[in-house]
Amino acid sequence: MDISVPTFPVRHSSLSLDIEGNKTEIIISSYEDHFLIIVTQIGSMGTILHARKDEGVSIHPTFNVSVTFGKRDEPMLVACARQLIEQISASGYSKGLVLSLGLKDHSVGTLKRIVSAVIEKLPVVT
Amino acid sequence: MVPNDLKEVISNGVETSTQSINQLTMEEQTSQDDGGVQITCFSEVSNEVTLHFQIIRLQKQIYAWIGCNSAKFGYLYAAAPTRPSNTVSVTSLIGGASDNTGSGVARRLVLKTGLNIILACDIPKNSPMLEADAEKRLVQKLISLGYTKPKM
Repeated sequence: MDISVPTFPVRHSSLSLDIEGNKTEIIISSYEDHFLIIVTQIGSMGTILHARKDEGVSIHPTFNVSVTFGKRDEPMLVACARQLIEQISASGYSKGLVLSLGLKDHSVGTLKRIVSAVIEKLPVVT
Repeated sequence: MVPNDLKEVISNGVETSTQSINQLTMEEQTSQDDGGVQITCFSEVSNEVTLHFQIIRLQKQIYAWIGCNSAKFGYLYAAAPTRPSNTVSVTSLIGGASDNTGSGVARRLVLKTGLNIILACDIPKNSPMLEADAEKRLVQKLISLGYTKPKM
């Protein structure tokens, strides 16, 4: 007897890696209108950022990135979110991004590794 | 064949079948990362509306998403018990207003479970029955997964 079960509408993918000595969990979920990316080294979501492409007709898209919860004085976190939304937009998606960064260290090296790990994993959920 | 050997073979067989049946009855999907992050996804139908639930358990926090017939993200809220009086604080992070459904759900989730919660909720406004049903199922699931903190 073949019973077909509808698949869950939200796809997700997770990975665990070591970044500069800190164990890092990355979870990417793809909703209809947003991507949710959780990056944590501290066991909680930490700072939550929201990034969107602006409505507009110009050739070059502009993005709005803001911290909605948590550290508002760490520009590297905003930069990380901006890089990711640009990558998402360049890949052809018009979805927004909700990014959570719960990090022990906010160095450039850490954030670069996070961005590259996420970009590598993104095609899996889309 | 000696009767004792036969009994042993039969009881081993029964044990194996029972294990297989237990595995077949799991309908939801729970995936576990080596790092201890658990993701549980399930869907339920309530009055012709399909509710989708996604629970991501981190060490010190729980993220939950409730979808209503679609995979839209909805509005985002953060809620947690606040010391010293154990009242619950809620704030809307993305797109919420005080009359949106999610903030009440987030608040009551924390009240019932004692957890630190981030909730994304797409249940439409003015659907109290749907809201109550979704909340009930989510709380039940959190309890059955063993995520809730014991009441003081």
